[in-house]
Amino acid sequence: MTEEFEPKIVAFLCKWCSSAGSDLAGVSRMEYPSNVIPIQVLCSGSVSPLYILSAFNKGADGVLVSGCHPGDCHYIKGNYYSRRRIALLKELLNFIGLEPERFKMSWVSAAEGTKYTEVIKEFVDELKPLGAQTKLRRNG
Amino acid sequence: MVALEDLKQEAKNVLEGGTVKYIIGYKKPAVGFMAVPAFFHKPEDLDALVWDPTCVHNLVLFLKDEKKKKLGQKEPDERPVGIVVKGCDSRAVNVLLQENYIDRENVYILGVSCGKTGMVDLKKVRKYFKGKIISQIDFNENESFTVTTTEGKVEVPAADIFAVRCTECITASPVIHDVLLGGDSVRTPENPFGSLEEMESKSQGQKWDFWQEQLTKCIRCYACRSICPMCYCDECVVDTINFAVYPDTPAEEKAQKIKWVEKSPTTSENFIYHMVRAIHLAGRCVDCAECERACPMDIPLRFLNKKLEKESKKLFDYDVGYDTEIPSLISSFRDEDPEDFIR
Amino acid sequence: MKKKRIGVFICHCGTNIAGTVDVKKVAEALSKHDGVVHSEDYVYMCSDPGQKRIVEAIKENDLDKVVVSCCSPNLHESTFRNAVKEADKNAFQCEIANIREQCSWVHPNMEEGTDKAIKITKTVVEKVKHNEELEPISVPVTRRALVIGGGISGIQAALDIANSGHEVILVEKSPSIGGHMIQLSETFPTLDCSQCILTPKMVEVSKHEKIKLLTYSEVQEVSGYVGNFKAKILKKPTYVDPDLCTLCDECTKVCPVVVESEFELGLTGRRAIYIPFPQAIPATYILDDTGCPGLLPIACGKCADVCDPGAIDFDQKPEIVEEEIGVIVVATGYDLYDKTNMGEYGYGKIPDVMDGLQFERLCSASGPTNGKIIRPSDLKEPKELVFIQCAGSRDPELHCAYCSKICCMYTSKHAMLYKHHVHDGQAYVFYIDIRSGGKGYEEFVQRTVENDGVLYLRGKVSKVFQDGDKVKVWGVDTLAGKDIEIDADLVVLAMAMRPSEGTEKLAKILKMSLDKDGFFSEAHPKLKPVESVSAGMFIAGAAQAPKDIPEAVAQASGAAAKAIGILSQERLYHSPMVAKVNKHLCTGCRMCVDVCAYDAISIKDGIAEVNEVLCEGCGTCSATCLRAAISVKNSTPYQVHEMINASLGG
Repeated sequence: MTEEFEPKIVAFLCKWCSSAGSDLAGVSRMEYPSNVIPIQVLCSGSVSPLYILSAFNKGADGVLVSGCHPGDCHYIKGNYYSRRRIALLKELLNFIGLEPERFKMSWVSAAEGTKYTEVIKEFVDELKPLGAQTKLRRNG
Repeated sequence: MVALEDLKQEAKNVLEGGTVKYIIGYKKPAVGFMAVPAFFHKPEDLDALVWDPTCVHNLVLFLKDEKKKKLGQKEPDERPVGIVVKGCDSRAVNVLLQENYIDRENVYILGVSCGKTGMVDLKKVRKYFKGKIISQIDFNENESFTVTTTEGKVEVPAADIFAVRCTECITASPVIHDVLLGGDSVRTPENPFGSLEEMESKSQGQKWDFWQEQLTKCIRCYACRSICPMCYCDECVVDTINFAVYPDTPAEEKAQKIKWVEKSPTTSENFIYHMVRAIHLAGRCVDCAECERACPMDIPLRFLNKKLEKESKKLFDYDVGYDTEIPSLISSFRDEDPEDFIR
Repeated sequence: MKKKRIGVFICHCGTNIAGTVDVKKVAEALSKHDGVVHSEDYVYMCSDPGQKRIVEAIKENDLDKVVVSCCSPNLHESTFRNAVKEADKNAFQCEIANIREQCSWVHPNMEEGTDKAIKITKTVVEKVKHNEELEPISVPVTRRALVIGGGISGIQAALDIANSGHEVILVEKSPSIGGHMIQLSETFPTLDCSQCILTPKMVEVSKHEKIKLLTYSEVQEVSGYVGNFKAKILKKPTYVDPDLCTLCDECTKVCPVVVESEFELGLTGRRAIYIPFPQAIPATYILDDTGCPGLLPIACGKCADVCDPGAIDFDQKPEIVEEEIGVIVVATGYDLYDKTNMGEYGYGKIPDVMDGLQFERLCSASGPTNGKIIRPSDLKEPKELVFIQCAGSRDPELHCAYCSKICCMYTSKHAMLYKHHVHDGQAYVFYIDIRSGGKGYEEFVQRTVENDGVLYLRGKVSKVFQDGDKVKVWGVDTLAGKDIEIDADLVVLAMAMRPSEGTEKLAKILKMSLDKDGFFSEAHPKLKPVESVSAGMFIAGAAQAPKDIPEAVAQASGAAAKAIGILSQERLYHSPMVAKVNKHLCTGCRMCVDVCAYDAISIKDGIAEVNEVLCEGCGTCSATCLRAAISVKNSTPYQVHEMINASLGG
């Protein structure tokens, strides 16, 4: 029996919404796959495209950026800048031939523990058939 | 069409009168036929000034050097620099103005219109004339060039030896200038992003194979970065070696050198380097395609930038280098920016 | 440079963490991590002995940085930072790794949970390794408050703050304070006369030496930060000098214009020059320039002709008042759900269908009918009266999803008042549920049912339409399982409560966030119900969610207490995790200036400069900067880079 591929995922979660939403999932004891290592950032607006490229470069099979819903940003509008920047990066990654499933953005509010678990479950399910990400991985 | 004599006269007027300290333009090369950048300090030097379809260089690059030179001088000459710019190059001037890298008073812009054609592609010319010795290429009133070889003059349809970017050009005339030569010519290409379509129609696997083949060739000579007028950072974020240390740099910071990208030209590192470059040029690249021309490995770098130019237009209705007063692409947003990709 | 000495402390949290994470293994793995010189686990790190262990370990092992792997940093970050401070280390040298909410509670498999806990902890170790020592930024406090909204909540908050000795600017957009409460007839569950209990507070406001009252005024611009806000307030012209006006009422007698009275909710009219209601504060007439036939040039001028004291000044202009304040209390209240949304109940089309607030005016002794309950169409006394609850509330498909909370109680009060006025009348109430939680509330509803014979029908109304001089109501009684048809004389809708008009605009001005229903968002639904997420801005009353009077008053006093908490400080402390510019790399492109939501960045001599007091540390500037010339302290790209590496096991 071959062991099922377990993707490694880096998730940039904003402190106020998505990290709090993930905390709520915990408080509510919602089970989800353990493939994601969260990195708390203050705002999705602080996630530089370099962070995402670097995560792939260091061997991530998938990268998630999650922030507050539009209009709910703790810092008023950081998520709007993030949305624009990430749309561009997503197009670029797609253009060079990386599987589009590998890079995801989501809006998860502090009240959306359920949504957070759904996002993670879906992401893991989508990544499993793709196998390891070697295209951008250093020495890959 | 620009009359070279008019351009020379305009240049002479400002140089003689001392309005500008020098003029950046083009002259004939010592060898070959492709014009080269030239710096004209004296009015009499201007006899060598040329303007023809081989003036491919984006001279705005040299405004970087000018700025850096001035920063190092105690009492710099505050007069503007005269510069010959094409339509595309003029938008580069605008981006530098938008980013407050230069002030409008720093430049005296001699705008030249490309008329109905544009710049030739050296590789296409060589292929077309297989080994013939070319001495001169000239604009025509129609969509063709006149090429002078040792065997005489021939008229060549522009499409045969034209740079691809010029077929997609929408600014044949400078959008900012102090004098404009050759009139205001409007260009409405059928498909300003047509060259991308073949790439876009490929499968993810084919795209990857294409770029893997191309970017594996990269030797990381950084010619693309050096020739780019937008790459004006003193230090590039992808470099870890030349992060300068200043007397006031704290010890902690000296130790913190981020290796976003390894120096070694391996495939993965080349990808990261070129993607960082493309992302940093989003909303700033004016498609002068100098990176691609300078690339010794013939990597079609223009595609990466053109793709983001296309998406900026499609997703955010952002045009690069027209309005110097608006915030940049990535320092602005609209409430209605698309988010269908967000879960 | 001295090698960093990091201590790692793994909390069991009883079995909350240790149940699914092998904490010994995590401590063991971390002890081998670069820079970690001490690693231990303990059953409850947050307990007093747990905190002592940290202090002792710092001293024994000469630690200069600490990571505590435990619950979410939202819970115990300050606990552990204080412990680190107790050991004479900088509080910002302590970071929390969340291995409970984001790990042990969601991953029942011990092997997976342990592996993830190790990675999470290593990631945070890499962050703390490069943390700077920081001290909170101190700023002075302007010891004055701005209260926005002059209803019961705003009045209460203003009085509480003023009585603590601090100055208050109370801004109200309509000509008088009093809000919706002054429109009410009686109040549940005691049937106190609303005006009788509110007007003393209104008078107190007008006489209070610490309160500056700005009515007919709107906040237009707010800048600054907690302790140091600046507000621009637009004072609209009233064309009447309140100091000269003697309330003689001569002007209204000559005014030729009649428009709908806002105070009487259209049940009667008023003149273009008017006093909103007799007890209005400030006690003065005002001229409504939209109703007046013309001021430029003066078309009529009769009011000025008859004004003996010469109080009328047609040349008054809008005025901008600028105020410096330290805190802001938002008490902008509610409005009823717009009647145009309620077509199915005939509201706005059938004259004898009205909302609860209009019914209050009908019952009020000072109302347009002097307290006689008569219906608008023919001024006859209604003998059959139908109340419909949840008109617009609890209807996620078509209207508002939430419960407006006060309607069960006021409908019960309305039915009771009706029976007190019309002894031979019959009142029917259509309801979904009766929600009467509150002191004396359930007893009040029972009294309505038992003593006043009001018929409660559990079910929704499907249609309301005019049938001759009757208003036909089709509904269903789900308890009896019967269709119900009532020939009503008057129908009263318990309309949903909505955030008051202009809430959205004010939220933009204050940079405060709204919830999905458009009410102001509190910072935490349970633990911070009066705070907003913006420091120094508090919420009181129905601006936050539907509320009755006692709740609004309680929240207003709560908000006032929080405001006083700030105003009584000499100085405030602000997070030092703010943006910092590397001036060698900055080219002055202004992109960071463009994206900063707090106007904290400016360009000085061609280089970005951060106002540390304004900066909230979001880091959007850092991600925007192409030159890596700006970053947030203790959240630098270098730190994130190292964290990414550690998270991937590198």
